[in-house]
Amino acid sequence: MTQKLDPTVIYEMTITAFLACWFIATVLCQFKETKISWFIRYKIDLFNLIPLWTFFAPHPGKRDYHLLFRDKVTEADYSEWQELEITEERTFWSWLWNPEKRDKKILSDVVQSLVASIPSYRERTGNLNLLMFSTPYIIVLHAVSQYKKKSQNCYRQFMLAESSGYQKETEPGLILLSVFHQI
Amino acid sequence: MILFNDISQTVLLILSVGLLISTLEYLKKVQIFSPNGLLSWNVMQLKWTKHDQRSFLKPFFKLFSASGLTVLFSIRCLLIIGLFFFPLQSPIGWALISLLGASLLISSLATYYGSDGSDQMSMLIIITLIVCNLPVLASSKLREIGLWFIALQACLSYAVAGIAKLVSAEWRSGTAIKDVFSTKTYGSKKATGFLKKYPVANRFLCWNVIIMESIFPLCLFLPWEFALIFLIWGFIFHFFTAVIMGLNSFFWAFMATYPAIYFVNHQMSWHLF
Repeated sequence: MTQKLDPTVIYEMTITAFLACWFIATVLCQFKETKISWFIRYKIDLFNLIPLWTFFAPHPGKRDYHLLFRDKVTEADYSEWQELEITEERTFWSWLWNPEKRDKKILSDVVQSLVASIPSYRERTGNLNLLMFSTPYIIVLHAVSQYKKKSQNCYRQFMLAESSGYQKETEPGLILLSVFHQI
Repeated sequence: MILFNDISQTVLLILSVGLLISTLEYLKKVQIFSPNGLLSWNVMQLKWTKHDQRSFLKPFFKLFSASGLTVLFSIRCLLIIGLFFFPLQSPIGWALISLLGASLLISSLATYYGSDGSDQMSMLIIITLIVCNLPVLASSKLREIGLWFIALQACLSYAVAGIAKLVSAEWRSGTAIKDVFSTKTYGSKKATGFLKKYPVANRFLCWNVIIMESIFPLCLFLPWEFALIFLIWGFIFHFFTAVIMGLNSFFWAFMATYPAIYFVNHQMSWHLF
């Protein structure tokens, strides 16, 4: 005897199939990137619903990122480097209430996205000029361009740097130095 | 009336606490979406218009100013508060959680950068609860399938995190936690000082996390009194990542999956011993 297909059964089967596909897609998108995982992540997953559960592995985030900028007024007149205050220390209540984590995560995501795209830009074009048209680059440029200019017609350059936080024995490193942009 | 003996409802209540905190945090930092903020829609829209000419998304783009998102996040807070009073399986409760799910999906376009695994786990739970509790059509069996899905995703998340650490030389050598704790982004001065003073603690903590995360799915198959060890470990783990690393939203998102794990464990027809 076949079970009568009433709307409840049809709905149950549909949702079960949907959840099964979601779970399989999640499994396929862990670890190594394949053609299938690339297709799922970048062509289907519009709302970022397929997680990557590898938290802090295989490479734990052991660097703090810093965003600095300076202005060029004339060929001989440069302002001091100024840093955007993002990596503030947490408060006692951060275990419960931690709005500051968003700024840090945004900068960290943007920098990692930029860094990850550098090899492909280098491979495709031989230089990094096209990197300037990437969304993460424009996000960073836009953020620094909002700060008060040294003069009306100055050019602004930004620098992405990394440091190892409380481990002072390691020197800060340069990730990316932009060209001067008219802002 | 809210019943705590309903597992799906318990999942939702725990998650709601975390989502309320997370939404209030976004409200506090809403200037990041202003024209001169890090996630200004003037720039972020490039991400979507460049690759996706999906017209169905465009009406929402108007929402992604600081004022639009303030309204969206405020409405979301009211929806979450409403969920503390209306049961998930009531038509009003279902309408509230559906609107909450819609607001999470819409805002995910603007928060592409800056969202984390806890946001994804929250979204995953909310969508599952919506589709598995649709009034009239959703059966009790479907609600159980939803809980299975949440439990399996939770176990997958721990196992993947554990295996990814196991294949990492930095985790195996026992330096990873010290390195992460020494950053200002995810660490703390006190924790760094402690781990410098007691290097053996680095190795212990690294291997503790690797082993417990990798074998976490066993909690579905072990007799409950042994499975509970994993859940207590998870509670302590997430509590300390909240205290030391500031990952407060992970605590609520992952604790919300534990009632589902309890349910699946008790539904298992057999256990390992």
